[in-house]
Amino acid sequence: MNMSDATTSSAAAMTPKVRFSPRRVWTMAMATVTQLVRMKILAFLVIFCLLAVGAGFAFSVINPEQQLNLLKSVTLGALQIFSIVIGVVSTALLIPKDMEDRTLYTILSKPVPRFDYLLGKLLGVLLLIGGGLIVMDAVLSLILWLRQSMLFEDAVARMHLEKMDTPEAVAQVREIVARQGLTWNLHWAVWAIFLKATVVTTVALLLSSIASSTLFTIVITLCITIIGHGEGLIREFFFQPHLSGWAGRAATLLLAAICPDLAQFDIVDSVVNGEIVPWAAVYDMTGIAALYVTVYLFVTHLLFVEKEL
Amino acid sequence: MAANLHEWSHACWQIVCIRDYSRVFVLIRVLIDPTAMSDTPAVSVQNLTKIFKGTLVKGAFRAVHDLSLEVKAGEVYGLIGPNGSGKSTTMKVILGLLKPTQGHTSIFGVPSTEVASRHSVGFLPENPYFYKHLNGRETLHFYGSLCGMSGARLKDRAEEMLALTGLEDAATRRVGGYSKGMLQRLGLAQALIHEPRLLVLDEPTAGVDPAGSRKIRDLIIEFRSRGITVLVTSHLLEQMQEVCDRVGIMAHGRMVREGRLEDLIAVENQTEMVLENASPALLAKINALVQAEGGGTKILRSSHPRTTLERLFLEATNETK
Repeated sequence: MNMSDATTSSAAAMTPKVRFSPRRVWTMAMATVTQLVRMKILAFLVIFCLLAVGAGFAFSVINPEQQLNLLKSVTLGALQIFSIVIGVVSTALLIPKDMEDRTLYTILSKPVPRFDYLLGKLLGVLLLIGGGLIVMDAVLSLILWLRQSMLFEDAVARMHLEKMDTPEAVAQVREIVARQGLTWNLHWAVWAIFLKATVVTTVALLLSSIASSTLFTIVITLCITIIGHGEGLIREFFFQPHLSGWAGRAATLLLAAICPDLAQFDIVDSVVNGEIVPWAAVYDMTGIAALYVTVYLFVTHLLFVEKEL
Repeated sequence: MAANLHEWSHACWQIVCIRDYSRVFVLIRVLIDPTAMSDTPAVSVQNLTKIFKGTLVKGAFRAVHDLSLEVKAGEVYGLIGPNGSGKSTTMKVILGLLKPTQGHTSIFGVPSTEVASRHSVGFLPENPYFYKHLNGRETLHFYGSLCGMSGARLKDRAEEMLALTGLEDAATRRVGGYSKGMLQRLGLAQALIHEPRLLVLDEPTAGVDPAGSRKIRDLIIEFRSRGITVLVTSHLLEQMQEVCDRVGIMAHGRMVREGRLEDLIAVENQTEMVLENASPALLAKINALVQAEGGGTKILRSSHPRTTLERLFLEATNETK
């Protein structure tokens, strides 16, 4: 060991190590949220609110059950699209843009571990999606509650006119409206939408850390999202005995391994139909999402830490 | 010993004035091993080779070849060379943004591959861009927070940097509306926010008008007087000549010349003498003396010294204010 090496090792040993810092991650996340908010990306919220009001009050020819079904179906569908599109587009834009603008150089030339940077970016996008979903959930809940109250009163008034408002009949209508109206299941559906968006956003982060093109990241992530909804079919296909040839089997296995099983988070249809979502299903979904995020984030870190800037 | 004293005083300054308690480690380090610190260069590059992997179409590219250099604490070191000579690649390896293919680099003795080495360094990239949605003050707060600063310490330091770089009036304006010169000065402010001991400046005056360029040059001179080490690249050789203590000239990824500026640019067998109010008779006498001397001594040229175009520009533009 020469003098210079000794000096280097002595200085390195005495220099405080830079460890993971939640505060630094939060700083990155807040900058990301501010950036996205000031890019007016939440204008989608206004569109959603108009859509919810439209779906809630525009159709009055169908029965109460169908009307509440339609309201939930349209708005929860819009929420899914909103969360996935915002997650994919924002994430695909952020890292390549930071590299293109050399902002990444100024950030990573500070004592900032690359994992902190990645986690901060992801957290920022998820905070934005989560915040947007909370607002939209509140708007949807309010409209659903108003609509179910109005529909119940209309139905009772109509039964009263037709002299059919027996206590049993009124109770039956109340039960139908209550089941299709505002329940905790609606919030679980929004939670499932958030979890799905979280997984898709993490996939977008992984792709954007290796790709230099925003378009590539968006297109491939959306393809993975579509394939992810048919993960069950892919698995079935893989285990079919007549599937021959190693190439076909390897391709199927690769797809099944790469794509997340997004069907695990599909409880929206059940909620729209008024079915009750058990706690166990919520735990399972949350656990699966956490596992996917951990694995994808780990792979992203491995790729990004080696990336030459 | 002088480097030790410099290290000590800088660390004490940071602890007392900006409450950067991580510098206590520096004091302890110097106490434990005074001999090691005295020789620690601000930047050390040893046998650095950087080869970029090729693609199917393009082969591998060797950007830097067996480069070694040292920047001593407190000096201004200029790295110059034509486009593609490997200057920016070398800087990126020093900053840990690229990994060396061979050799190694360190900052104040800490290997560049460790994130901890970035505690001591501030970096201004060529043509920097920042988050356009943030204003100048928010940008400095953002970078300061990333360095672990907070509260009154961060606020005071951000204001100090805005004042130093002359951006106080633009502090609340979005960065998207900044001119190139303002962006460059904001880049300097963010590089300095955490009071680094080393500044790495990549083409700091690129695209900046002469007045802005002069301001940046003056700042570099001020940094040196504060004991901050500066590693700078620029194409504007005249400016480098004014600020650098030592320079390294790179070409094709190799160091082709390195040393103290005076030594490199001095023409050993010539002497320059500038006279003021010299009469024609005196000039004739000098001429005659030189001719009488013989032995190869001769006057190569005699003329009125000229101002530089830059100085003329600055004088003219200041007159109109």
